[in-house]
Amino acid sequence: MKKNLFIALLIVLLAMSSVVFASGAQETAAAKEVYFLNFKPEIAEVYETKIAPAFEKETGIKLKVVTAASGTYAQTLKSEIAKSNPPVIFQTNGPIGLADSKNYTADLKNTEFYKILSDKSMALGDGTKVLAIPYAVEGYGIIYNDAIMRKYFALPNKAVSIKSADEITNFATLKAVVEDMTKNKAALGIQGVFASTSLAAGNQWRWQTHLANVPLYFEVRDANIAMGSKVPEIKFTYSANMKNIWDLYLNNSATAAGLLGGKSVDDSMAEFALGQVAMVQNGNWGAGQILGVKGNKVSDADIKFMPIYTGVAGEEKYGLNVGTENYLCINSNVSAEQQKMADQFLTWLFASETGKQFVKNDLMFITPFNTFKDNELPTDPLAKDVIRWMNKPGVSSLPWAFSMIPSEEWKNQFGAALADYSVGRKTWNEVEKVAVDAWKTEFKLTN
Amino acid sequence: MSPKNNEKRNTLILTIILALLAMFFLSPILIVFMNSFKSKLFISNEPFSFPRSDTFSGGENYLSGSQKIKFFNAFGYSLFITVFSVIGISLVTSMLAWYLTRVKTKFTSFVYYLLVFSMIVPFQMVMFTMSKTANMLHLDNPIGILVLYIGFGAGLGTFMFSGFIKSIPLSLEEAAMIDGAGPVKTFFLIVFPILKPTAITVAILNTMWVWNDYLLPYLTIGTEYKTIPVAIQYLRGGYGAVDMGAMMAMLVLAMIPIIVFYLSAQKYIIRGVVAGAVKG
Amino acid sequence: MQKSIQKYFALFALPGLICFAIAFLIPMVMGVVLSFFKFTTVTDGTFIGFENYKRIFINNDFTSALWFTARFTIVSVITINLGAFTLAMLLTRGIRGTNAFRTIFFMPNLIGGIVLGWIWQVIINGVLLPRGVTIVSDPKYGFWGLIVLMNWQNIGYMMVIYIAGIQNIPHDLIEAAQIDGAGKVAMLRSVILPSIMPSITICSFLTLTNGFKLFDQNLALTAGDPGKQTEMLALNIFNTFYGRSGFEGVGQAKAVLFTLLVAFIALTQLRLTRSKEVQA
Repeated sequence: MKKNLFIALLIVLLAMSSVVFASGAQETAAAKEVYFLNFKPEIAEVYETKIAPAFEKETGIKLKVVTAASGTYAQTLKSEIAKSNPPVIFQTNGPIGLADSKNYTADLKNTEFYKILSDKSMALGDGTKVLAIPYAVEGYGIIYNDAIMRKYFALPNKAVSIKSADEITNFATLKAVVEDMTKNKAALGIQGVFASTSLAAGNQWRWQTHLANVPLYFEVRDANIAMGSKVPEIKFTYSANMKNIWDLYLNNSATAAGLLGGKSVDDSMAEFALGQVAMVQNGNWGAGQILGVKGNKVSDADIKFMPIYTGVAGEEKYGLNVGTENYLCINSNVSAEQQKMADQFLTWLFASETGKQFVKNDLMFITPFNTFKDNELPTDPLAKDVIRWMNKPGVSSLPWAFSMIPSEEWKNQFGAALADYSVGRKTWNEVEKVAVDAWKTEFKLTN
Repeated sequence: MSPKNNEKRNTLILTIILALLAMFFLSPILIVFMNSFKSKLFISNEPFSFPRSDTFSGGENYLSGSQKIKFFNAFGYSLFITVFSVIGISLVTSMLAWYLTRVKTKFTSFVYYLLVFSMIVPFQMVMFTMSKTANMLHLDNPIGILVLYIGFGAGLGTFMFSGFIKSIPLSLEEAAMIDGAGPVKTFFLIVFPILKPTAITVAILNTMWVWNDYLLPYLTIGTEYKTIPVAIQYLRGGYGAVDMGAMMAMLVLAMIPIIVFYLSAQKYIIRGVVAGAVKG
Repeated sequence: MQKSIQKYFALFALPGLICFAIAFLIPMVMGVVLSFFKFTTVTDGTFIGFENYKRIFINNDFTSALWFTARFTIVSVITINLGAFTLAMLLTRGIRGTNAFRTIFFMPNLIGGIVLGWIWQVIINGVLLPRGVTIVSDPKYGFWGLIVLMNWQNIGYMMVIYIAGIQNIPHDLIEAAQIDGAGKVAMLRSVILPSIMPSITICSFLTLTNGFKLFDQNLALTAGDPGKQTEMLALNIFNTFYGRSGFEGVGQAKAVLFTLLVAFIALTQLRLTRSKEVQA
């Protein structure tokens, strides 16, 4: 009898507490809180430990930051956005991502946040509404450790005649230098010239998106296709050029090709930071990953960029790949009050003195906002070098054409093909075929 | 050799083979345990070596891992959800089974077959729609998820309880009713005590399922409340890299509770598995 | 008596039925209906007939997942049942340490799918390291990795069921056969196997359905890599829902096909083996 009473009591308690819990959970959402779904895992901690507390202190509004795991942003956004307490601020990566999210993006034309954008044409919209505002301009290329490069150029029996890394302005020279450095690995004290060409799942974006941008851009340039247009198919005309650099990466990397499937971007950045390799392809967002590594051996002054050369005619006139893939949107399905709070946060972050300091020193964004004076640009070596290349006379930055890739699925398939090629399970012709066929299929599926 | 010696020799060979097999079976667990004490760079490079002075990292992996994924919170959620789902399932399905077995109408047979059918249906069929309904009904929290587990566990639980109840002679319950006991008293005082062995089997099978379940908690409560499997898997997606050291340590921590549970309740577990199979 | 119990429908049956409806029935019906719609949330669909079902076959990831799953299941059902039965035969001879062996062989079954996948990923990568490859360099490593994993996890479980089945063979049957001069092989074929047919039924059912529905281990071991070549059906459906947008309807359609497939296979298998069961 007692046991049954106990069980009955337990059930009643459970039932009662569930009511309390459920209503409690609802309560916290309605209070002054703004839910931000963050895309960049590299700086998640900055939002959580520095920015959110500072914002709450100044305005009393709680910033709830959830960071999607690498490679899962779209998926996480989709499931979170349908819940009863969805993200208020979220990110889209460009016209394709925006098309997916258009059912819940609010018009930002009248927000304070839109007002601080310097070049209004950079915002994305549907012609009448402003739906997404870029917040970080980024550049990527081949990051190199100048100390190791100088060591190389000081070698008595080096195979090239140039004297410094600045003089590498095309693929032929790059290839000669890299292959010679590989020959002299031991003398230079490195495990390989390039950091591991990481191919672990979720870590292939440096190749299927960023590297692919180079041949892609030249192809659309030749065809006179404007940036942002819909491209039904590609011929991958510059495929041989991509093969040039891809083979160079694979054959001169710190890790044997067969093992790259287990390497992540973090691993590669750590290799660079610890001085085990001389070069790594990445962008200025990776600054934290180099500067924050315990035992970082590369001095700030030695961290430099060079463009990704692939052997295209006239490539000496092109600089780093510069553009943006980071747009912020506000959820149109939340209350007007929440949208206002979101606007308040974003404007605070990018216009107030406290916010700007975070952007400059911790987030290290190069922003497109008119609120940043020249001395408020980030001073980390990567951002500085991106800016140097953007302003360099005689070279123009290579725009980000990869926003015209029809879908994430194309990138996944292309990345998988590159991985197969790296272990010898596909020939380059087959990789080409995947690129062309998948583009056609994906374009059809998404249009 | 005499037949008896032959017999002895065969038994010895058999025992040796079994012992080798047993060691092979245990080795993965031991390897993970060993690696959890090495620093992360040396795990991928030499996974089968013992920690040496230069690769030994003490409890560092345990500390960093538990911090990264808030292991102890995950443990709390897993424990709460498992214990209360199992209690809920055992209680609710036994009552449901008794009703369905004793009340013979077309409706009850129909419901019974629906429940049995639900055991075959793969989770992917309902995962998307269920996570939406759960969200709409505000069940996407550690307490609401209990309702979901009871619903999913209803198939197996009702099936097992029904099977056993069918073998309980009606005369027992009829006698109680003649004496003036209502259905409530009859069930809780007469039937439920007899159901105890089946209830234990149901509890054990469900414990193993709920404790290790990944998709249901991931889809409904995964962003805010991570159970142990969800937390472990998060180590992979998080930050693009897998901290192997933390991963090894967390795998060990994840295995300890279930192994402790097993060693203490082994007899019941094995009995439960057999009973479950026989009924099937 | 039935009438008096029926009055208590609300207490005995309703809680279970409500949970079942919320967690399973309603999502299941919604899922089937929505498989004929194009939708992103459950309330904004547009009817498109069989379009989703046609779209499943636009690229071949579903069919290759199906093929991979079928191959995997066939191999794992055979290896697990052979291994489990062999071990069961070895552990029913009363040699010393039988209980300890049984404990050890069963233990892996308690460990959750996600944890298992990670454990074996580390071990397999370690084994492949000297060859300069990783588990995701070639789909055959993922395939065999999954087989090894499933065997490790399930041989113990099935073994326990077989042991119970063997122990239940009536002694007089065995003695009669021995008196008739039956050798070991004949004993196996004519006495043991027919008598344990119910165990074979249930073990085949469990290994078959488990193999087809496998998700957690697949996700943790390779997540389908390289490309999608080690992606099983359940993971393929999950990725269709959550890995890209605009394909929710296709995901539901795939799930419906998946359910029909599993149900068909399970029912066929049960019928086949049930008919062979000897009524003791």
